[in-house]
Amino acid sequence: MSALRQLASRFFSSDTVFARRTVGGIQPLPFKEDSLRSRIMSTPIPQQLTIPIGAADGPEITLLVDIGEQVSKYKKLAVINISAEGVSDVPVHAPTSGVITSIENSIVADHSQQQQLCINLAADGHDEALQLEPQSNYSLLSRTDIVFLIRDAGVIGMGGAGFPTADKLSKCAESAIEFLIINAAECEPYITADETLLRERANKVVLGAQILKRASAARRCIIAIEDTKPDAIDALNQALQNETGLDQGCELVVIPSKYPSGSERQLIQCVTGIEIATGHHPTENGIVMHNVGTAYAAYEAIVEGKPCISRFTTLCGQALKTPKNFEVLIGTTADFLFELCGIETSNKQKSIVGGSLMGSEFGSDKAAICKTTNCIIAASANEFQAPQAEQACIRCGFCADVCPSKLLPQQLLAFSKTADTTQLLGHGLLDCIECGACDYVCPSQLPLVSTYKESKKRIENRRQDLELSDYWQQRFQFHQYRVKKEKDQAVSRKAVVPAKPTLAAEPAVKEQNDEADFISKEQASLDIAAAVARVKARRDEKNK
Amino acid sequence: MSDLMAGAPFQHSGRNIAQLMQTLLYALLPGIFASLWFFGFGILINIAIAITFAVLAEAAMLRLRNRVSRTHLSDRSALVTALLFAIAIPPGSPWWLVALGIVFAIVIAKHLYGGLGKNPFNPAMCGYAMLLLAFPLEMTGWHIPFEVINGPLTVDNLGIPALTAERELLSPLSWGGFKQALLLAFPFAASGAIDISEFVDGLAMATPLIEFKMAGKSALLAARESGVSLFARESETAWEIINISYLLGGLFLLYKRIISWHIPLAIISTVFVLAALFYAPGHVAIYGTPYLHLFGSATMIGAFFIATDPVSAATTRPGKLVYGIIIGVSIYSIRVWGSYLDSIAFAVLFGNFCAPILDQYCRPRIFGHGLRSKTDRARPNEAPVKS
Repeated sequence: MSALRQLASRFFSSDTVFARRTVGGIQPLPFKEDSLRSRIMSTPIPQQLTIPIGAADGPEITLLVDIGEQVSKYKKLAVINISAEGVSDVPVHAPTSGVITSIENSIVADHSQQQQLCINLAADGHDEALQLEPQSNYSLLSRTDIVFLIRDAGVIGMGGAGFPTADKLSKCAESAIEFLIINAAECEPYITADETLLRERANKVVLGAQILKRASAARRCIIAIEDTKPDAIDALNQALQNETGLDQGCELVVIPSKYPSGSERQLIQCVTGIEIATGHHPTENGIVMHNVGTAYAAYEAIVEGKPCISRFTTLCGQALKTPKNFEVLIGTTADFLFELCGIETSNKQKSIVGGSLMGSEFGSDKAAICKTTNCIIAASANEFQAPQAEQACIRCGFCADVCPSKLLPQQLLAFSKTADTTQLLGHGLLDCIECGACDYVCPSQLPLVSTYKESKKRIENRRQDLELSDYWQQRFQFHQYRVKKEKDQAVSRKAVVPAKPTLAAEPAVKEQNDEADFISKEQASLDIAAAVARVKARRDEKNK
Repeated sequence: MSDLMAGAPFQHSGRNIAQLMQTLLYALLPGIFASLWFFGFGILINIAIAITFAVLAEAAMLRLRNRVSRTHLSDRSALVTALLFAIAIPPGSPWWLVALGIVFAIVIAKHLYGGLGKNPFNPAMCGYAMLLLAFPLEMTGWHIPFEVINGPLTVDNLGIPALTAERELLSPLSWGGFKQALLLAFPFAASGAIDISEFVDGLAMATPLIEFKMAGKSALLAARESGVSLFARESETAWEIINISYLLGGLFLLYKRIISWHIPLAIISTVFVLAALFYAPGHVAIYGTPYLHLFGSATMIGAFFIATDPVSAATTRPGKLVYGIIIGVSIYSIRVWGSYLDSIAFAVLFGNFCAPILDQYCRPRIFGHGLRSKTDRARPNEAPVKS
């Protein structure tokens, strides 16, 4: 029946949105029921918070506090200047009151697997807060006001990418936005943070979605959720009915459960039927997407005036006695949360941040929760099968069947092994979203995604090397030119002929021409030399 | 591989090569039972010999190539090769023929090219083709199904009274039949008994298609015209049932998603379309009906089990379709205009030749490629941003 309705709506009303069939995808065991059993819990205030403020080699950071300073809750601790123009500042706020003890590098529970600069805050337990400025009537705020407030609250994409939300919103000003899609798909196994958030606070999420819709001037707002989350769907339906919204309400689309349907481009295709061209931003097609958690953070930032100091994180895995979802302060360490869930330390084999398909292992339990930490898995020894001896690729094509980007993983693997950059790029290596679906189905247990990541890194390094060598080539050419010019001048100085005053402007032009001429001649020979060197390098690489 | 990258994804479907091969073996069972029913123990003896030598050859080659034989042997790929090969060989072939073919398949066609996953040609079909070229006589001698010999009608029509004497020996599922099959496989064990191969050679045919091609309106055709029940052990119905069994096995593989529908569908529909186009009733040439081409030959096993060998087939979806069409055309052409009896082996090997180029040029459109975004359409002069 619903299929008929979908068919009918396709022909008769272009305004109804419905879930379309997407390419590829898998249906892994979800392992979500354990953490769904309890409500969202708030944590006690940890004694020590490690608040990440950015990678050491990342964007510039402006510190606003000193070591030893007493700070109140919500105080701005630092500002991360993502771009040089200062438009993408992301402030970091104090999650509770206390004293700044030190600022040092430590491990953060995110996918970079690198140490980040963190502010260590010793909580005093009083939780003394600054006065907040709630915007009771947010419908009166202008677009720019909303963007400003969201920027000031330090909201970034809570889904995992961590792109500053305010930037995404200001990008929407460049083109007319048709669809704002709120991504509630949450398709990856283990993660239930968005689901529980919707289950319990759907009203606030819908309000947040309305705020984002207003800020991006989107014509329609669609909340997309997988059909395996009935409680959340019910809550959303309820919230949408009660909605005292702005101009036009939000719409709910229930999509079939298929990993990775929550991936941005795949979800856009599923919900709107629009395929975003590679290398283009969805806003160019009038689409913008935000995560459920981001919508909630936007709600808090505007309606409650509260900066982003906490997030929803799933704690799960067989090593935990009671897996659950927490509203956790940014900077809480993983071991603190493990304790709250009752960890069997002897049983824990590894800690993973993210889900079981795209997550990364992190080494230290002292790793701090950052704004993008959606899930932490304390995996027991037999939770995930140990990597088996990888067998040969038999080209069964299971991987190609499940690839959401319609790539040919089996071919990419072969080309990765021979380091054939041209073929890799031709076969769309850079379109790989690293979802891991190919790995999941591979009967030969091949580490496909890791191989592609490696290849991507190799190609990127190579590109940087070439860029660098081009730079030095230019420097060298200029140097040669200068040496030659100095020599020429030394010669001409011996037989100096006074120039006519009317031609005073000429030498400069001539000099430029000389330089261009010399460089173009040099260029030809150097190009040949460079090509030979490249061929040689490639041969060396292959021989290795 | 750097330590940073190791790991993700952590979850796995649990599928492995051994399971795939196991399912493939199960899917072959109905066809094997049908052959057993109609042709007797010859096929089981073929399978036993083939498996023995396949495992020995595989173990020896793995050892020579310094691979851990236990893990690699357990992938069961050698078993699949052995089974497919054994089915293709006429039941009642001498043991050395089977052994030679399977050793060639495993050692030369598989391991000398780099082992599992690296062989450009289907090993079982390589072995078969080698035998067909080197021992044409032995490779075309097929058992005559039981009823053909025992039924009074057929015996009369065949007009070879000598055969009636052997009916007990040839009864396929009897002790005599088993003994006879053993004797055929191991002729040195026969102590002065009747050399059965003498007449099996000249008379027996592989499939109705071949009978049709070679014998035209022969005695067997006459037997067909006089009407036989479906489950009688008569030549044509036998092959029908065997083909339907392989078709069922193939559908099971499709259901289990071990193979995709592209190659079988392309082959079967190509053969069907060609046969329908060229078929002319009453025509002197031996074109045969589409039905004969699909169910009176080895088309089903070829389409579902042999051409779908992933290692040597095309691997992209559009490539698989073209690959299937190439094989379908080859099957039909070799059958009708070529001099070989049936053509699955050569057709599949020809398809294998084409597979790499198909993979290179028949590729699906990558998600997000070959599109122009809205903004491109609005500003056609600007080059799209390269990622």
